[in-house]
Amino acid sequence: MTAAVHLPFVTPDVATIVQGMTGRTGRRHAQLMRAYGTRIVGGVSVRSDSDEVDGLPVFKTCTEAVAATGAVASVAMVPPLSVLDAVRDAVMAGIKLIVTIAEGMPVRDAVAALEIVRTAGARWVGPSTPGLAIPGRLKLGFLPDVSLHPGPLGIMAKSGTLSYEVCHRLVGRGLGQSLWVGVGGDPVKGTRFADILPFMLTDPHTHGIVVIGEIGGSEEEELAAAMRALRCAKPVYALIAGRTVREGVTMGHAGAMIAGDVGTIASKTEALASAGAQVFTRIRDLVDAVAAGVGKTSGELVPPI
Amino acid sequence: MMLLEHDAKELLAADGVPVPTGMLATTADVEPPPAIPIPWMVKAQIPVGGRGKAGGIRRAETAAELRQSLNELLCRTIKGQTVRACRIEQCVEGLECYFSLSLDATQGRLRVLLSSQGGVDVEAHAEGVRSADVAFCEREAIEAAHRLAGTIASPARGTIIRATERLIAEYFAFEATLLEVNPLFIRPDGPWTVGDLKLVIDDNALVRQPRLRDLIRRRAEAYPETSLKLDHGFDFVVVDPEGEIGLLTTGAGLSMQMLDELAERGHRAFNFCDIRTGELRGDPARLIHVFRWIAAGPKVRSVLINFFAGITHLGEVAKLLVEALKAVPELRVPVTARLIGNGYDEAIAVFAAAGNPLRVEPDLDCAIELALAPLTKARP
Repeated sequence: MTAAVHLPFVTPDVATIVQGMTGRTGRRHAQLMRAYGTRIVGGVSVRSDSDEVDGLPVFKTCTEAVAATGAVASVAMVPPLSVLDAVRDAVMAGIKLIVTIAEGMPVRDAVAALEIVRTAGARWVGPSTPGLAIPGRLKLGFLPDVSLHPGPLGIMAKSGTLSYEVCHRLVGRGLGQSLWVGVGGDPVKGTRFADILPFMLTDPHTHGIVVIGEIGGSEEEELAAAMRALRCAKPVYALIAGRTVREGVTMGHAGAMIAGDVGTIASKTEALASAGAQVFTRIRDLVDAVAAGVGKTSGELVPPI
Repeated sequence: MMLLEHDAKELLAADGVPVPTGMLATTADVEPPPAIPIPWMVKAQIPVGGRGKAGGIRRAETAAELRQSLNELLCRTIKGQTVRACRIEQCVEGLECYFSLSLDATQGRLRVLLSSQGGVDVEAHAEGVRSADVAFCEREAIEAAHRLAGTIASPARGTIIRATERLIAEYFAFEATLLEVNPLFIRPDGPWTVGDLKLVIDDNALVRQPRLRDLIRRRAEAYPETSLKLDHGFDFVVVDPEGEIGLLTTGAGLSMQMLDELAERGHRAFNFCDIRTGELRGDPARLIHVFRWIAAGPKVRSVLINFFAGITHLGEVAKLLVEALKAVPELRVPVTARLIGNGYDEAIAVFAAAGNPLRVEPDLDCAIELALAPLTKARP
């Protein structure tokens, strides 16, 4: 079988720690990720005095955790105003892949975090993301099991819930995922659509790419430019939410705001369509098109769960 | 979110930034104090760019003209926004410059733009706009502004530099993502004034910006969505006061998509909602609020709930829904719930035990059709 290509440092057996593991969310999701098959090797808690939780070692800093466990990846389950410190701690310890799930990270903190990971050559997925997964093998975050299934589709999504819905329906049609990356709905983020595209194009097990976008920002337009530059030959199916949103109003996601002509549905649809993507406004239409396109050609149909 | 011009100006004025003296008018029956002398500018307060070109800015030379302008602007809809207030301010003149600081979200850097030819037609003078991309920090921004101003051959250069330094300090102090002054008036004798001001702030930073929080609370009627989020911790936006379908949904993207799916079918939703089921933690308070707000929608004839629960247990959610519906008897329209996730069977049992106060449907498209049925039936 040809070797799969994911994002750098995203491998099924990557040694992973959980920052904030003694908190309510961190403890729960450490167990859920472990149950899914993720190699959780320990956790970090800056406050807790316990040195073990649910059979996993707890350290005071990432540096101690990495030294003791050899961890390469981290999932930070800390409050929004602590994300920047968590990223700094992780990167200084040599962590190469960090996923931060908290919603509500201030933009200025995100800019600082981006600078830190870029300088260190690390990869950051987040903020405000449900995480990423190699279905059946690895889950970093809390993508719902009901929507995860191995298969031929590369998924990149700004919205968690909308991607759960779309992938759940695609799984119902027998189409699972090769790699699923939630990039989050914030304006400044660690990993953008265009960063993921080259890997999904190279991966021999990815036969189609599903893009879950929304109004605001320029990420869809950047993806369109990358599709052109890389001569994208795989089918790309995009759903862009928010066509009924008024200018100047923020809808839940910090990045989902139209300002002038930037971030509009028209601009995104035009850019993606002219780069060869099929763009949809209804979930049902997208699911039908993916099933008709990828379902026929992938040769990797998996039975519905 | 974008602050209204009036609020942004008063905010900066409180720090000593020179702005034309002005006041806010919500009716045409106003008399500006002597501190705001004739002639006046009358400016519609809406959170969008391009107001001037869209007819949202007038000049008034007399009290009668002022009243006429206010009458014409108030309650008008400009670029999809209803004008609920106008700022009346003194007219200012001088060299019209352009200055802006904006976050380049893709690169995580700061873009500084400066031109000595500002005004409504700044786009027409694009070749005169000097620009610099620098690291997102105050020191680099100031250095860039000095560099850009250095290329302007005008006796006003010194004043321009002073103005940009002040504005950069404000931009960073308030954690803004966009600050645009156009025109930035520079008078030959030295002083400068902020003609028009666009300030976009970072909602995520409100938690550590007490002055912005105070402003939003004080002016809650102008920022209903943001003040609601400050008070309740989740998102609820009335998108169409005449909308016929109330939405109780979780997840920003899926909730936006619900609005789109309804629009595709020719129907108008009353609201957008991201309740965040994961944060309910056994308390129906958020659900009760949303049902009350939806019940207040005069045209709402159907409620659609959509919870795609990745983690949350639906049995728990069902109990809270039953409790919340009981607490809001004024909600008399049919309620359809699309539920999916762990604990579905328990949720069904909970509803059955409560006498089925709502209909449950696991498929989204089917749930939308069910929710729309009361609307389409009533039509000939």
